[in-house]
Amino acid sequence: MAQTVANIPVKAPPAGLEREPMVSNQRSPGWISDAIAGVIEGKTPVWWWRAFIPSIIMLTIMTGMILYLVSTGVGVWGPGHPVMWGWAIVNFVWWIGIGHAGTLISAILFLLRQKWRTSINRAAEAMTIFAVMCAGIYPLIHVGRVWFGWWLFPIPNDHDIWPQFRSPLMWDVFAVSTYFTVSVLFWYMGLIPDLAVMRDRASTKIRKFAYGFFALGWTGSNRHWSNYEKAYLILAGLSTPLVLSVHSIVSLDFSVSQLPGWHTTIFPPYFVAGAVFSGFGMVLSLLIPLRTLLNLEEIITLRHVELMCKVTLATGSIVGYAYGMEFFIAWYSGNPNERYTFIDRATGQYWWAYLTMVTCNVVVPQFFWFKRIRRNMLVVFILSIFVNIGMWFERFVIVVQSLHHDFIPANWGYFRPTWVDILTFLGTFGLFFTMFLLFLRFLPMIAIAEVKGVTPQADPHHPLGGAKPGGHH
Amino acid sequence: MKTIPPPCPTPETGPKYWRSLDQVSDTPAFRQWIEREFPSGASEMSDPVTRRNFVKLMSASFLLAGVGLTGCRRPTENIYPFSKMPEGYTHGLPKFYATAMPSRRSAIPLLAKSDDGRPTKLEGNPQHPDSNGGTDRFAQASILNLYDPDRSIRFAKNGGPATREAALDALDQVAKSAQANGGKGLSFLAEQSSSPSRERLQQALATKLPQAKWYEYEPVDFDIHREAASKAFGRPVSPYFKFDEAAVIVALDSDFIGGEEDLHVNIRRFAKGRRTQQAADSMSRLYAVEPLMTLTGANADHRLRAASGTIGAITALLASEVFKLTGANALSGSLDSLAKSAAGAEKFATECAKDLAANKGKSLVVVGHRQPLAVHLLAWAINSALGNVGQTVVLRDTAAPKAGSIAELAQSLGAGAVDTLVILGGNPVYNAPADVQWEQAQAKAKSVIRLGYYEDETFPKNGWGLPLAHYLESWGDARTSDGTVVPIQPLIEPLFGGLTELEVIARIAGLDKTAPYEIIRETFTAVGGGNDENWKKFLHDGFLAGSAAKAVGGLTLDSAAVSSALSGIETVSPTKDKLEVVFHRDYRVDDGRYVNNGWLQELPDPVTKMTWENVILLSVKTAKDLGVYLENTGNNDARGPWVKLQLDGREIEGPVWPQPGQADNVVALALGYGRTVTGRVGKNSGYNAAKLRTTKALHFATGGKLVASGKFHDVSLTQDHGAMEGRPIIREATLKEYRDHPKFASGFDMEKPPVFDSLYPNPLEPGKKSALHQWGMSIDLSACVGCSSCMIACQSENNVPIVGKNQVSKNREMHWIRIDRYYTGDPDKEDSIQVINQPMLCQHCEAAPCENVCPVNATAHDQEGLNVMVYNRCVGTRYCSNNCPYKVRRFNFFDYNRRPLEQLEGASVPGLGRVYPTPMLSRTDGESDLLRWWKDMDRGNLPDDQFELLKLVRNPQVSVRMRGVMEKCSYCLQRIEAAKIKQKVKAGATADVVVPDGTFKTACQQACPAEAIVFGNVADPASEVSKRKAQDRDYKVLDFLNTKPRTTYLARIRNPNPAMPAPYNYTTPNSTEEFEKANDANPFEGGESKEHGEPAHAKGEA
Repeated sequence: MAQTVANIPVKAPPAGLEREPMVSNQRSPGWISDAIAGVIEGKTPVWWWRAFIPSIIMLTIMTGMILYLVSTGVGVWGPGHPVMWGWAIVNFVWWIGIGHAGTLISAILFLLRQKWRTSINRAAEAMTIFAVMCAGIYPLIHVGRVWFGWWLFPIPNDHDIWPQFRSPLMWDVFAVSTYFTVSVLFWYMGLIPDLAVMRDRASTKIRKFAYGFFALGWTGSNRHWSNYEKAYLILAGLSTPLVLSVHSIVSLDFSVSQLPGWHTTIFPPYFVAGAVFSGFGMVLSLLIPLRTLLNLEEIITLRHVELMCKVTLATGSIVGYAYGMEFFIAWYSGNPNERYTFIDRATGQYWWAYLTMVTCNVVVPQFFWFKRIRRNMLVVFILSIFVNIGMWFERFVIVVQSLHHDFIPANWGYFRPTWVDILTFLGTFGLFFTMFLLFLRFLPMIAIAEVKGVTPQADPHHPLGGAKPGGHH
Repeated sequence: MKTIPPPCPTPETGPKYWRSLDQVSDTPAFRQWIEREFPSGASEMSDPVTRRNFVKLMSASFLLAGVGLTGCRRPTENIYPFSKMPEGYTHGLPKFYATAMPSRRSAIPLLAKSDDGRPTKLEGNPQHPDSNGGTDRFAQASILNLYDPDRSIRFAKNGGPATREAALDALDQVAKSAQANGGKGLSFLAEQSSSPSRERLQQALATKLPQAKWYEYEPVDFDIHREAASKAFGRPVSPYFKFDEAAVIVALDSDFIGGEEDLHVNIRRFAKGRRTQQAADSMSRLYAVEPLMTLTGANADHRLRAASGTIGAITALLASEVFKLTGANALSGSLDSLAKSAAGAEKFATECAKDLAANKGKSLVVVGHRQPLAVHLLAWAINSALGNVGQTVVLRDTAAPKAGSIAELAQSLGAGAVDTLVILGGNPVYNAPADVQWEQAQAKAKSVIRLGYYEDETFPKNGWGLPLAHYLESWGDARTSDGTVVPIQPLIEPLFGGLTELEVIARIAGLDKTAPYEIIRETFTAVGGGNDENWKKFLHDGFLAGSAAKAVGGLTLDSAAVSSALSGIETVSPTKDKLEVVFHRDYRVDDGRYVNNGWLQELPDPVTKMTWENVILLSVKTAKDLGVYLENTGNNDARGPWVKLQLDGREIEGPVWPQPGQADNVVALALGYGRTVTGRVGKNSGYNAAKLRTTKALHFATGGKLVASGKFHDVSLTQDHGAMEGRPIIREATLKEYRDHPKFASGFDMEKPPVFDSLYPNPLEPGKKSALHQWGMSIDLSACVGCSSCMIACQSENNVPIVGKNQVSKNREMHWIRIDRYYTGDPDKEDSIQVINQPMLCQHCEAAPCENVCPVNATAHDQEGLNVMVYNRCVGTRYCSNNCPYKVRRFNFFDYNRRPLEQLEGASVPGLGRVYPTPMLSRTDGESDLLRWWKDMDRGNLPDDQFELLKLVRNPQVSVRMRGVMEKCSYCLQRIEAAKIKQKVKAGATADVVVPDGTFKTACQQACPAEAIVFGNVADPASEVSKRKAQDRDYKVLDFLNTKPRTTYLARIRNPNPAMPAPYNYTTPNSTEEFEKANDANPFEGGESKEHGEPAHAKGEA
């Protein structure tokens, strides 16, 4: 049949309208399988160990810091009156923000038929899950009595005491845990066909068993594919509102309070945009080196990078607009406390944090207007790091600067982090990279089945589509 | 909330246990045996105190209680079962006993609360004729000294441990040899005292041992008031200032609100004269002329900065102006030449004089204790000319102390004339003037017997160190400032078998009766009659009614004495290179006696807000001139430039701190810090200013030179940001503005957002209907002087922990009530700077922002309007604190209650910063903290002696919070509940269950001598608090947030003299001007008509 189809001549789109293919160099499905599975099946590269050992060390440091914190008290961190939340909440929001790109890419872009998502969604989803894990640690350990952290869950008890459902922290618990659960399910669902591929290619019994176990007996039958596609669509539909809700709710931690600098209705959309911004920043920071290191330039192409740059530019501009709008409202509201906070934000003791934030989040993405920059991997990588830094400072400015000069001047103070704050934060990178590197070694980092589906040659109507004489290659 | 205690058990009664027939017969032999047997056993147990030893000690002292050597101690039930309970005792209910805290030449009448036999809280005795139940911060904190684990706990001979009986034998030996030679070579060095018994013993001593010498020394000595009055009127009298009856007060270097004796009386009287209830009321006016920025200056309507050395000239200027106006110059010789040297103060003095002269008989001029006698005499001349004597100042007969000075004693020691030196209290090695060289002098005595509360610098190596009993452990008596005799009753046996001053004197004098109880009983017989009923009433009431010293009328000024003293007044104006160095009493540790008291160490200085040390204070201009200025950094862990201060070849080193409003070229050094031998709390705290003091210039000296070192020193203060930023937090008006616009306070209100029906109705609203009470508080900012007694009272009542210097610098102090201090006015125009204070505590908002953000419901509202904190439920997210606009919630970042200070300080590791030891690795008493935790989770990391003693100071009615828990002011919930229960019991079957107004007070309210804080039921329109809230001046802080706080404030009124010239003049307070500028609003325009500006009514709703 393929031959019949191939015989129908299809005109190529006129030059200039032609899109760059999702997989360059007209690679065949077999090559794609080999390239992606080869990452796992090949010898562990030296750079992997060079990255993994420091990550493990940092993870150990994080564990040590948490033990120190829990045994000694929250005082080992920097907070004090009036800044009762310090780096813990900054890092929590930052990691959660990073955790936005994955599900956005896999769910929203899926629903919007953005086919380019397939090359990056798996890694981005993995990143999401690990970032949410890093984020989830903080709300737990930052409380004064960690061992009673479970009181935040609505567990029936003798005293009939329920959590306070009016508290945004309570909403956080639900939002983050739901988001994490759905993200894991979605990710795992998408993995099933690829796990089956790995099972089928496995050369050792252990691998065969392990991949086979998690592949849930996938055979690639039509019925499987039909169920899979439906389930994937449903999960995508479920995840989409979560992408928007999680960071909206995290932003409510701030906007529900009445602190100038926190108490503002702009926060939910502003936080979501910021989250997507930082998430894409992190995806870029991760994938640009990986595509070279793992020789996957043909699957994660310049076009992918370019598209991500565009999303970054768009969301960065939304964030920039929000920054401006905050100042406008501070002036327009006529509220002197609000006005003071924003003047202080730009010119007060934390001016350096504000300047870093604006530079990284508003100025830096503007470079992405230029195609030459978007296609220069080194520059994009560097700029993406700035985006990550900028978004961290945004959270720092919101949490710390707003608190440090609040209503009663007698009470003002200056927050400084301690070495424990810093090491704990660095330690979460250890957790993140340990998890991510293990993911690279043991799971296909690109959705094999889906990428094949978006190659030009997978389209029977494409001039290159259909089976070719001469077989696979 | 005073429960009427039953009459104190007389010594003859007690639990009916006996161990021998002798005991029953209570023979002297038995007494001697029991006295020696057990306490000596206790003293043999050398330090450190273990739990076992401690319990032994307690049981040993219990045995003493049986024979009634002390009156009020009753058995502790863990030693003997309460098979026979003392009458009137209900387990768990605290009892109150009247006692008094002795001070230098006065005393503070107290009611001490006793919980199961241990004193836990001190309150003023409101029945005392010269008290309203208020106290000063020192009295509130003194209870912590009782349980100080670093206090002297043993008898020591030549520095080593010895037994109690050996010590008593040694005293007997001294007595015998003194008897033999009439006391030759025997010298006493004592602190001042107002005790009639000591006076009597001193006389007895003089009779029995005529050769023995008696000396007294106080590093901060207020006796000059008596001396000056006695000299001015030619008769031994001491002055008693009635600040409430004066319409105009001029304070010349006199910090009568913060630094003189009898603060609580002064504050009470001053606040009374300032309080207004309606706009038509009058209030007094205070002028302050002072070198330092003191609490008095902070409360003054007009303030003149002047170096101490020019105060005399200014007084002369004032005097000549007053004499011109009154035409009553009784002084021979001219004041003019002297007055001329007061350049720059003419306008101020002229207006002061006019104001004084216009209020003849209703004005008052006071001079501070640091000024020389001549200035005091001159002030008496002014008061006399104004007819104030007998009106606003009463002279009372007093006995002149018969004592030599420490310099004389040092001379006599140097001459080898002293064989036995008996030092009763004090710490002269540390705080004697440098030129006395006391340490060397003391070493020249053949033998030293020192009765001291601490084994400190003066602890003798050659002779005996005897532990001094705390006043709550000892029988004694004293006179309050009006001369009323008050008893000092023990509430507990001496914890470490300490002796009292009276006993030591009696023993050395070889008297028959040496037990303090017998001594004061005998004294009382002379003063109050031999009647037992009188004695019981005396102990029960806490004072002897009618024993106040008689006011002497009709005294005329001995103008010759004043005139002749005038020549003694020197005017020395300091310059940049010859700074004036002022040695002042510290607001926190006094002269150093409270340096090991954690509550006072952590109490922020009411003006500088500095904690845990003293700093070198300079005016802003002088600091800039000398290049040691420190920009306001906004960080509470600020760093002060480290400098050397040289004076007459001596020098000290310390950090500089600029103090707005201080006189230029004046350096202020607080006494009491820089101890070399002290306890765990007081060590490494500040510099010792006494090293620069000399007998010639005990209070101030000129010629100081400051050398910057380029180094910096970390200081910890609780508030660094001094400006109010034009926000209407403290609202002020002048008396005139108040009269023109009585409701001005609501003119400061800011626009409120519209209020819609909430999805979540406030749970308080339905609850309110069924509640009997609605609690609320009103704080009068016109009355509050910022003395900070309330802070310590709250700390004592509510088991508020101290956190240490490092934690303060991280803004983690735990005070439930704090005093916010703002400077208003241009910091570069130091003459016009004004200081304002505001007690800030949980506002108990009806719509509390903290409540709805707590994820675990740990903070909630009760039906009576209290914002309650459920410690057990708190997990410590700290969101409530972030959302509290008043920032009055406090978080236990560490186990502050159960960790020693060193662990809270942490170690400073270069490159890392502070490293706090983790209990996983740290050790206490040689045992792993992890293991200790495993064995007993409640014990914490405290060494045994600290743990065992400090747990006794806790109020059993308030839980001790663990780490990770948020805490805050509860409006003294435990007192509210106790009052409610009591009322319900009283009501029985009747419906009379509403607690009547005034039945109880919160701890801060109780301690406040100014009566600035009123608490009560706002649902009752007749209650005092409702009346206060109905006043025109009532306002809510941050009213625009709609938090509907139950704590409201009464705006502060200033009473400036409209005739005052620039730069001291103002028509509206600085803060109001700043508000107007920042908000482009005028609070005096249409404030009355604003709907939202209506003052809260009695119901407490908004």
